[in-house]
Parts: sequence; structure tokens; C-alpha cells
Amino acid sequence: MASTSTTAGEQAPGLQSQLMTLNLGPQHPSTHGVLRVVVTLDGEEVVEAQPDIGYLHRNFEKIVEGWALPGVVPFSDRNDYLAAIANEVCVCDAIETLGEVELPDRAKWLRVLFAELQRIISHELWYGAFGMDLGAFTPFLYGFRDRETGYLLMEKATGARMLYAYNRIGGLRNDVTDAWLKELEGYLDFMEKQAFPEYMKLLIENEIFVMRTKGTGQLTREQAIAWGASGPVLRSTGLPWDLRKKRPYLVYDQLEFDVPTGTNGDNYDRAMVRMLEIKESIKIIRQVLRRLPDGPVLAKARAAVRPRVGEYYARQESPRGEVGVHLVSNGRPNAYRLKWRAPTFSHLQLVPLMCRGVKMADMIANLGSLDIVMGEVDR
Amino acid sequence: MSLPRTVWNTVKSLVVGHAVTAREIATRPITVFYPEEKPEFPTGSRSVPVLKVNEESGYINCTSCGLCERTCPPGCIEITQAVDPATNKKKPWPHLYTLDLSHCMVCNLCVEACPFDALEMLDVPELATYQVQDLKFHKEQLLDLWKTGKAIRIAEGQPMPSK
Amino acid sequence: MNDVLAAVLEALAVLTYVALNAFVLIWLERKIAGHIQRRIGPLRVGGPGGSLQSLADGIKLFSKEDFRPGGRDGIIWWLAPLVSMTPAVMVFIAIPFGQHLIIHDMNIGLIYITSITSFGLLGVFMAGWGSNNKYSLLGAMRAGAQLFSYEIPAILSTIGVVLAAGSLSLETIVAKQSAHWFLFPQILGFIVFYVAILAETNRTPFDLAEAESELVGGYFTEYSGIRWAMFPFAEYGTLFTGCALATTLFLGGWHGPLFLPGWVWFLIKTYILVFIAMWIRWTLPRVRIDQLMDLGWKFLIPLSLINILGTGAYIALVR
Ligand code: SF4
Ligand code: SF4
Repeated sequence: MASTSTTAGEQAPGLQSQLMTLNLGPQHPSTHGVLRVVVTLDGEEVVEAQPDIGYLHRNFEKIVEGWALPGVVPFSDRNDYLAAIANEVCVCDAIETLGEVELPDRAKWLRVLFAELQRIISHELWYGAFGMDLGAFTPFLYGFRDRETGYLLMEKATGARMLYAYNRIGGLRNDVTDAWLKELEGYLDFMEKQAFPEYMKLLIENEIFVMRTKGTGQLTREQAIAWGASGPVLRSTGLPWDLRKKRPYLVYDQLEFDVPTGTNGDNYDRAMVRMLEIKESIKIIRQVLRRLPDGPVLAKARAAVRPRVGEYYARQESPRGEVGVHLVSNGRPNAYRLKWRAPTFSHLQLVPLMCRGVKMADMIANLGSLDIVMGEVDR
Repeated sequence: MSLPRTVWNTVKSLVVGHAVTAREIATRPITVFYPEEKPEFPTGSRSVPVLKVNEESGYINCTSCGLCERTCPPGCIEITQAVDPATNKKKPWPHLYTLDLSHCMVCNLCVEACPFDALEMLDVPELATYQVQDLKFHKEQLLDLWKTGKAIRIAEGQPMPSK
Repeated sequence: MNDVLAAVLEALAVLTYVALNAFVLIWLERKIAGHIQRRIGPLRVGGPGGSLQSLADGIKLFSKEDFRPGGRDGIIWWLAPLVSMTPAVMVFIAIPFGQHLIIHDMNIGLIYITSITSFGLLGVFMAGWGSNNKYSLLGAMRAGAQLFSYEIPAILSTIGVVLAAGSLSLETIVAKQSAHWFLFPQILGFIVFYVAILAETNRTPFDLAEAESELVGGYFTEYSGIRWAMFPFAEYGTLFTGCALATTLFLGGWHGPLFLPGWVWFLIKTYILVFIAMWIRWTLPRVRIDQLMDLGWKFLIPLSLINILGTGAYIALVR
């Protein structure tokens, strides 16, 4: 039986109140896919929130053990389906390192370009979804509107909207045309001049938004580190930990950009960090456009990749945090073991911590501010 | 912050927010009336790999070599080689060629693997059916599908052709 | 006999108008939402702009399965939609659409309206309690707290007008505004009243009772078909009457500068207020329950008290 309420002291004698257990999800408007959160409520207040995962489990890690490595790359798109490029680049990095494939220069730059474009698109969606969690429906469609333009660009370059299957071991499947690069520049201009100020004015600077997010869902830096948080969730606590800066991969060491950080680690800071990251990504893409070298995009000697015996942990900064691939190879064309580190898996474990004692509405906001993608959590 | 300041900030941010939505009311909608009005897909947009008919010979190019079958990661291609019933010898074309679109992840790897230019990627995504079994396409169906859209095969490392 | 006939005719007129009005408002809301979001909204059913969409939806809702949740509190669950719809209809009786265009001019019109609208809460509460659903219950609890605390500023903010007009009869109040509207002397009162209306009709930023992202559907989660339809019906009815009341009290009712019939002026003003409410709904995020309470008790009530004080002082000094 549920115990009596924690506020028993305030009650009239003889009255008894009970805690209420609510199954939030797996079908609920704001659980971002198929997440179930078992919430124990005391009226409006959340006593405990326990996320329950596994509804989207697809056995990714086991399945790919039986596949030749080139097939793993398109399949990895399905993990974090909102940032497919980040997955592909990461898994390619692991395979290329173990297979000793040298990447052509242009491929490196283009990978950076696509990863950053993907970051913009992903944060646009997050912006909309977070607005929706706070009850504002219109930002969601504005986010979608601009994301759709971005996806069209992606489709023109890669042939698919979301699950690109664009990276190959040793580079990229297709080159991009100059016309496409021009179009991309137009999109960046639009984002910078029109869409971004609109996002800020409509939601982020709105007093109600500030009221709702400031001071809620607060995390200290120690907590964030202890629970393995990364990406915007960690940076919002003030730690400028960005793998693009701290462990530069591809050509990030030749690019100039800032790492936005927050101070309080609350929902507002997380929102702010993500919004500023859109700006930084635009800056990075502009630099790439200026310095993009010519040449092939696909390495020659890559047929029949046979990674050497050994293991390698590749990690990169996806829009959500550190995505990592631990590849163990015994010299066969398929992986002996492939462990996927999903950033939002760690972030989801923060939910019980963040949601103890908050109001029901703030719990939804906390969940939204972590930017959870269930495809990646459940794999 | 003092109270008047808070009030002023609140009012200002509310007005600014409403100005954004007011401006958007006045602009043109961006949606497409889907069944009547179809969006244009960029060239090279992928929906399903299909078998292609060679314009010169009028036959399909596939020699039933089985490379695509072996490359496909989820294993959704199944090929049975044609056999001459009289001599019991294998013939260089497929007797059966089945592609299970319900498993296919449209990754393009089979198209890249085919050494005989027999597969192409179709750009017609409207393939939804009520039954999963209907997504199993046979040789003839794949050929029919090939005729419905602008299937292309883009050489590796080359840019996507623009319209 | 004549009295009965007149009463029946009046009831019919009100019901027809309420129904038509709800249809129009629902269609309007979807259109406005669509255009704000760069969509088109309803499009295919009926004449220009899909204007018969609501009718089609109505027919669909009528023909839907009458789903009843297990473990419901039978009669309460059954009564709730009716209880929440009735006050929305009854309020129309006392609203002066034009000079002498009022079904019943009571000398306590304002009190009648405020007391009748409070009944809506009962329906909401019954729906939440009777559904045997935790989301519904939470929604009903929120609605209870919310409507209760916004009823007070709404009533307090009208007192300034009553003081200035010296009457509780709505027709007299409008007649007193022939020279100048009460909007400017009573601007504080108007703001408080309008915000309170938004809160009472459960509209964003105060839609906590049906907060989709938190409570799925709030208090009417378990209703479907025509029973469900009664809740939006009531909601739009209340929205309209709220705006109509604001027009009556603050915007000079049927008075207008041009030589249009009075009821046209009245409807124009009311629909502008309705439009603003919809515009707000599709722009703002939702507040949290404690912030909602803070706004009501710590901000709106003092404001309306200041308004009363100011009006009273003015009247005492000037007259
Ligand atoms: S596109 Fe990929 S999944 Fe589909 S049949 Fe070809 S190789 Fe297999
Ligand atoms: S790889 Fe090409 S030629 Fe070989 S079986 Fe497949 S389609 Fe036919």
C-alpha cells in the first residue's frame, strides 16, 4: 500500500491522502517516442519518476555482429535517427581506424559540413519539441518548417531525408555540386537572419518561457559528471567539454568556433546552449564552405575492408552529446563486438534525480530539455 | 529586478512574440496539398532498388551473379538462377528475383555492388500497402516499378545530378 | 400559453445561435492556427476555406461509438458534459446584443452571468471525478483550483464598471457608455477581466486543465464522440460569452461610430476579442500551476482592488 502523504502535518485529523502512481507513456503526447516513466505523484508533485526503457529495442549490437562492416554504417542511422550523420561518421571512424583506411581531404571537410548541418537540423527539432512540452504549439511547426528545408538539402545531396546511408568506409558515397553549396549558403543566411531571431523572440526570450525554465531541472556539475552526462547537458553546467575542441577529430582543429556554456545547469541554460550551438554550427559551415578542398571524396583502396585484430573506441560530439563506438575486431570482415555508447542513455538516468519533488509540468519540461531520442537509448 | 521592470519586460516579450506570429499569419503557407499536388523529389532520391531493362537488348542486365544478395545487410534479396530444363545447365539470368521491401533499409549498397549495371534506385516513394506480404516484389513487379519512375544509378564519388 | 411559446422560441433561438457560433469559432480557430503556423487549416469540406468542416466533424462525432470507460462513476460521468454545457448556453440569455436585443434584461444581469458561469466548473469536476482516470482527475483538480482563483479577479474587475455605471443591469451599463467607453477609465479592470476570461475558458497560456503535453486530454480524456464534443462546445460558448461580456462592460456594447446596426458593432467587437484570444493561444507557452496561482492571487486581485479604489475615489471626489 502507498504510504500516507508527506504533508501529513497539514491535514485535518482523520483525513488521509495517498500517493498516486501514474504510468506516463509509452503512449503519451510528450514522451518523445516510446518511453515509459512510472511517476509517483503526491497531488501535483512528483515524488519519484522512474524511466522504463526498452520499447524500441532492436538488438542493434547483436545484429551487426553478423554483418559485414560496410552494412553497419547504414544500419547505425537508425540509432539516433534525428542525427544520423553523427552516427555514421562515428562508426566509420572506428572502422577506418582499425582498417587503416586513409580518408581523402575533401571527405573530411564534407563530413564536418554534414555533421554541423545535422546539428542545426537536430536542434531545430529540439526547439520545437521543447516548446510543445511547455504547451506552445506554434514553435514546433516553425522548427519543423526550417528543418524541412534542411532535410530537402540533405535529400538533394544524399538521396534520403532522414536515414541518409551517405557515409561509406573511406569517405562519402557522393560528392556535392557547387550549386548545392550555394543553396546551402542560402539556407544558412535564412537561418541566421530570419529563423534564429524568430526562435528567440517567439519562445526563448518570452517571459513565460523564462519563468518556466529558470531554476527548474537544475543539475550541478558534479552530478552531471557523475552520471556520465555529455553534450549540452554537461556544458549547461559550465564545463566547456566539447569533443570537437578537447579531442579534435576530422578537421575540427583547423576551425574556429566557440563552445557555448551555461552557468546554472537548469532547463533555461540547456535551451540557451542549444540555441547558441546553432549559431556556432552556422559559423563552422561557413568556414568549411570557404576552405573546402577539391579532390575525390572516396578513398581508393577500401574494397574488402578487413580491420586488423584489435579494438578501438571512436567518439564524437553528436548534437546530443558524446556518441561512441567501441569496436572489437578479430580480423574478420564483421565485428567481433560493437558497443554503442548513446549519450541520451546516460541522460535518461538523470530523470529520477532531476524530477524528485518537482511539479508534474516541470517533469515534462525536464524530460524535454534532455533531448532524448529513444531509438538511441534502446538501440 | 524591481517589479515595474519585470512587468515591463514581460509585456515587451509578449508583444514581441505576438509580432512574430502576426507576421507569419500574413505570409504565404508553405504546405503542399498532397494527393492533388505532389512535391517534387530531388534527382537521386531513393525509395526502392529495382531491376532495369537494357534499352539496347530489351532484356534485363542481371546475370544472377548473386553479389547483391550477399551484399545486402538485412538479407532482403533472394535469387534463384534460371536452369535450362533440357540440359540442366545454369543460365545467366535469374529465374526468381525477390526483394522484400519490408526489410530493405534503402541503403543503396546492392546497387553499388552490382557489377552489371542491372539495379537502379527508384524515386517513387508511394509504395504503402495494407499487407506486409504485398511488399515482397518479384522480378516482374520490379521491372514494372522501374517503368513508373525515373530510376537512376549514381556512380560512386560523383555528385548527385541536379534537376 | 403565450409565455410558454415565447420561452420555447427563445430557447430555440439561443440554442441555434450557440451551435452556429461554436461551429464558426472552431472553424475560425483552426484556420487561424493554420495560418499562424504557415499551414492552411481546414480546406476540403464545403465552401470557401473548408467552412463546413465543423459540420462534418459534428456528423462524424455523432456517429462514433459511444465509448464508456470501465469503472466510471455512472451518473456523474454521464451528467458531466451536460452540466458543463448548460451554463454556457444559459449565459446567452442575459447578453445584450443590441439595444432591446436581449432575451431577458434582468436588473441583476451581471450577477446572473457570474453566478451561472461558475457552474461550468462543476461539470469539469464531475468529468474528472467520474472518469476513473488519473489524468482526468489531475486535470479536474487543476481546473478546480484555477477556475476558483480566477473567478474572483473576474468579478472584482467588473465592480469598477458597476460603480461607474451605477447599475447591475447590462443594458443600463451599455447605455451609460454612449458618450465614452469604460475601456480607458477602467483599463486595469479590462486587462484583469480579459486575462481572467482566458484562464476561465482554459486557453493557453492557462490551459493547465487539459494540458495536452502533460495530461493527454485533461478532464475529458475518457470522453469520445458526441459526449466529448460537448466540452469544446461549452468551451467555445464560454469564450464567446466572456468576450461578449468584455465588450458589454468595457467596449461600449452596441455603440459604434458608424451607422451600422448596433448588433453588428457588438459582434465585430466581440469577434475581435475572440480573435485576440486565439492569437494568444497560438503564440504563448503554458504557465505552471503555482505560477498561475501567483498571477491570480498576487497580481490580478491587487490590480482589480486598485481599480476599484481608483474608481471609487474618482466618483467620491468628482460627484
Ligand atoms: S537497398 Fe540495402 S537493404 Fe535494400 S535491398 Fe539493397 S542492399 Fe538490401
Ligand atoms: S548483383 Fe546485379 S547482376 Fe548480380 S545478381 Fe544482383 S542484380 Fe543481378
